Amino acid sequence: MGTSARSARASFAFTLAGTLVGLLAALGVLLGPDDWEWTGGFLVGGERVHLRLDGVGAIFLVPVCVIGGAGAAYARAYWPDSDSPGSAARGRAWWNALILCMGLVLTISNGLHFLIAWEAFALCGYFLITLDNRRPEVRKAGWLYLASSHAGTLALMAFFTLLAAHAGTWELGPVRDVPPALFWLALFGFGMKAGFFPCHIWLPSAHANAPSHVSAVMSGVAIKMGVYGIVRFGGWLPVPAEAGQVVIGLGAASAVLGIAFAMAQNDLKRLLAYCSVENIGVILIGLGAALMARTHGNAAWGQLAIAGALLHVWNHALFKSLLFFGAGSVLHATGTREMSRLGGLGQTMPWTAGFFALGAAAVSGLPPLNGFVGEWLIYLGLFDAATTRAGFAWAVLPAAILLASAGALALAAFIKAGGMIFLGAPRTKPAAQAHECGAGMLAPMGVLAAACAVIGLAPGLVWPAIARAAGSWNPAWAHAEKSPFATLGPAQAALAALAAAAGFLLWKKSRANGLRRGLTWDCGYRSPAPRMQYTSGSFAGIVAGWFFRAFGSERKFRRPHGPFPEGSILLERIPETVLERLVEPAGAAITRLSHAALSLQHGRLQSYILYLVVGLAALGAFVFLEAKP
Amino acid sequence: MMIVRIFLWVALAPLLPGLINKVKAWVAGRRGPPVLQLYYDLIRLWQKGVVLSTLASPAFVVAPAVAWVALACAAFLVPLGPAGAGLSFRGDVLLMVYLLALARFCTAWAAMETGSAFGGMGAAREVSYAVLSEAALFAAMLSLAVQTGSVSLVAMLSPTPGAGTLLLAAGLFIVLLAENCRVPFDDPNTHLELTMIHEAMALDHSGPPLAVILHGASMKLLLFAVLLTAAVLPLGSLSPLAAASALAGGVLLVTIGVGLAESFLARFAFRHVPLLLTMGILLCLFSLLVAWKGGAA
Amino acid sequence: MIPALNLLIGLAMGLNLVALGSSRLPSLIRTVSTQGIALGLMPILLEGNHWDWRIFLIAMATVAGKGFVIPGLLRRAMRAANIEREVEPFIGLMPSLLLGAGGTIAAVALASALPLLPEHAGSLLVPGALASVLTGFILLIGRAKAISQVCGYLILENGIYLFGLLLIKATPLLVEAGVLLDLTVGVFVLGIIIDRIQRAFDSLDTRKLTTLHE
Repeated sequence: MGTSARSARASFAFTLAGTLVGLLAALGVLLGPDDWEWTGGFLVGGERVHLRLDGVGAIFLVPVCVIGGAGAAYARAYWPDSDSPGSAARGRAWWNALILCMGLVLTISNGLHFLIAWEAFALCGYFLITLDNRRPEVRKAGWLYLASSHAGTLALMAFFTLLAAHAGTWELGPVRDVPPALFWLALFGFGMKAGFFPCHIWLPSAHANAPSHVSAVMSGVAIKMGVYGIVRFGGWLPVPAEAGQVVIGLGAASAVLGIAFAMAQNDLKRLLAYCSVENIGVILIGLGAALMARTHGNAAWGQLAIAGALLHVWNHALFKSLLFFGAGSVLHATGTREMSRLGGLGQTMPWTAGFFALGAAAVSGLPPLNGFVGEWLIYLGLFDAATTRAGFAWAVLPAAILLASAGALALAAFIKAGGMIFLGAPRTKPAAQAHECGAGMLAPMGVLAAACAVIGLAPGLVWPAIARAAGSWNPAWAHAEKSPFATLGPAQAALAALAAAAGFLLWKKSRANGLRRGLTWDCGYRSPAPRMQYTSGSFAGIVAGWFFRAFGSERKFRRPHGPFPEGSILLERIPETVLERLVEPAGAAITRLSHAALSLQHGRLQSYILYLVVGLAALGAFVFLEAKP
Repeated sequence: MMIVRIFLWVALAPLLPGLINKVKAWVAGRRGPPVLQLYYDLIRLWQKGVVLSTLASPAFVVAPAVAWVALACAAFLVPLGPAGAGLSFRGDVLLMVYLLALARFCTAWAAMETGSAFGGMGAAREVSYAVLSEAALFAAMLSLAVQTGSVSLVAMLSPTPGAGTLLLAAGLFIVLLAENCRVPFDDPNTHLELTMIHEAMALDHSGPPLAVILHGASMKLLLFAVLLTAAVLPLGSLSPLAAASALAGGVLLVTIGVGLAESFLARFAFRHVPLLLTMGILLCLFSLLVAWKGGAA
Repeated sequence: MIPALNLLIGLAMGLNLVALGSSRLPSLIRTVSTQGIALGLMPILLEGNHWDWRIFLIAMATVAGKGFVIPGLLRRAMRAANIEREVEPFIGLMPSLLLGAGGTIAAVALASALPLLPEHAGSLLVPGALASVLTGFILLIGRAKAISQVCGYLILENGIYLFGLLLIKATPLLVEAGVLLDLTVGVFVLGIIIDRIQRAFDSLDTRKLTTLHE
């Protein structure tokens, strides 16, 4: 056993131990009545170090630890030292740093230190995304991630300094007399990390090009740090009156547009990345409803909405990481992420197929899994708000309907993904020669799948935790609430049991009647080929047609002509619309302006002195005009 | 009580497609198949063997069973007039809608298993149009919730008829036609694969799984018919006997309506289907608007 | 009487949607005639307490005119011109449907902000009127065939008529009858013009009329 293998095992043990400690601490805070606080004796940057873990932070700490541990286990088999000696060790180091920084972000209670930890966390993410920096698209994705992250950090620096100026201290806590407009600054700054529409421009390329375990932790946990910021400061700051409606609107737009973009993708990991945008939208819908409830008299339905949003944070972390691990397994076996080059992998990789199917059912919000439970809580909050018929609550009506459409679109997108990759016949040779991945990659997937199933079948287990977090967010909702899952939990368990029994009985009956295998009938063609199957582009064709304007897709179509046609081509590319149609043209315009200004920088000393004289004269004129009474 | 409920849902459901076919035959001047035809079909299919594609896994046989259980549980949640629902709790309407989605997921997954072009085609169309019909269904449920002030099916489904009732009835009827793959969205009798939606998904099934799929489809039709009737008629304010007969009469009326729609309308070209579904969404949305404004200060 | 009134106005608003979404002329004419019948019955419901033979007469005349006579004239013009289908309209079917729906929602929101009399506060008269006017305008602007534009004009008139119902106690019924007569004469004249257009251009596509711009 070489030194690298020993150090890999040591590092893995260290990661597991750290995440276990963090998980126990978070659960301790969630299941007990007290928060955890620690004030250090030393100063950093002139401020005393002050850590605090309360209900809200603990809720976000749990997925950090769970996915951190599972991802480290996955990376041992997926990114081993034997395949990539240098980057594997680097990856382990940055992974541990990332988990540590995220834990710090969640517990730091001082504005200055928060910024330091935030920046460190963003840098760890950059180094993890660009682990395989030999490929140009990975480097490009890394730059885009870094640039977007810094745009958000700029807004956050402004936010924290203004907050400190108004509150008089860098210490973070509930404040009363700060201008409500600071909330918009926080929304934008944390939003660039959270990745709701339209601040999601970096998400697809970063999560698609990163190694799969890194994509899992980025999608499942890192973007939740942005959500944590919005949740935390939405709770502590006085928010503007229309904040709830705006957040709900952003959430609904992200949900529908995110999943529409996902439906149109042909790259599996890009599809999963856009789906994360959708789920952030779902969380924001719940959060917006809670903000609205809090602004208008702490209505009871707000508690359901925020509890649903926080539960969806957990659920999304679990099933998105499961899906990314499955994608990593597929990539490892076939070497490609293009769904239209895969197919029939369910026969050679049955375990991965099964876990992916479970993840697909969970992300579509289907009972009896955990995705449904979180969305059910949010829906219940929205429906309760609607039944009050209060004037301000009109926003929940379109939000609920758009959420329903987004759920149906998610189902469509994951039938497409699962069907293209695992079902049918292999479309290319790499797909036909795939093999199942090892137990090292299957075990973390199994753990996550089991967690999805447990939360779905016994949601009453998680209710005390999310109720405590909701009460921590808004003290008006801190009373012990009866679990709304009292009937839903047993109903879901009964559904699962009945479904399993019925499936087993039907299989037995079919075998008893006589089961024989035959070729798939394809309208009597002499030689049915795998290429006759639906491709991912054609599956998404109907939905992509509806969203054609929103996508701004580029199409190249050369029809076959004449009785002996030469090759024809149909190429359709869906760009990252906000990036390529808005940000990049704006950037190009700024670059052109700068180039025009470049003509002022020609190096002639005389002209520079002239600039100085002109500037001084202008200043003098300005002072002269101002001084005149 | 439970036995009666199971009997009503499971045993009476296959009657509806038979009634629809009888209505269509009567309009066309034919005698048509017997009303009990689907029962004979189900018994015959239950005894046959199964042909499984070489590309498909056992999930192809198991998925229809899971879909059937989902539909049966959804039916369990829908109240049968005075008899109430098998299980009723706050928020059960959401569970019902998502159980229908679970059935759709299982059917579509099974359709993709065989690797045939028609499976992909049917699944793609079905899941795409479901986006619009789900929005319409949710708008209708929101309208009922706002009218009655409750989020439990038992309380939601006995509204007082108001201005929005006609709009809700029209919208729910369009959703019924769409979700149950009836003309003008899909022709259940077509033999041209290129024109199929639901039939393309069930094309490769045989034997007991096919029987399960057909029975599940008839249960879904009965579910939607009961939902439509109970959403429109004020069953809560009638005596139990009157309510039961009103429910039965309403379901019969809806069935005859579906049969007439199938006889007098032609199947829409696929590019017009989103238009009709959008009209369904807007009709349900308008009834929601009417309900919202009716109580707003 | 408010609930029954709201039922009819709700029906009218639903028929607006159907009119916006239909591409065939016979169904459009049928929709407009149904809307006319529904609206013609409204004066009876508004004055349900005191029965006046004059109100009954006006209501029957409106139902006959809007529901049977005018659509009959339109059907005759349609048969003479030998067309049954709308060409691809300027505003497509789906956008006009969504525009009409958005306009209806805006009308409901606007109506709740207007200072109405207390007896009209709970009814859908004002939103229904505004929505019908908007629907009429969308059909007038967005359709290419002349008969579709006439149907749009009729729906516009229905909207104005609904608005007029708010003032039914103030306006003498004779004025309402006069409006109805104007409408019938107008449609009659339009029928003649449509026939003339058909003979001159062998088509009812109003885009051809731009050749007259000299």
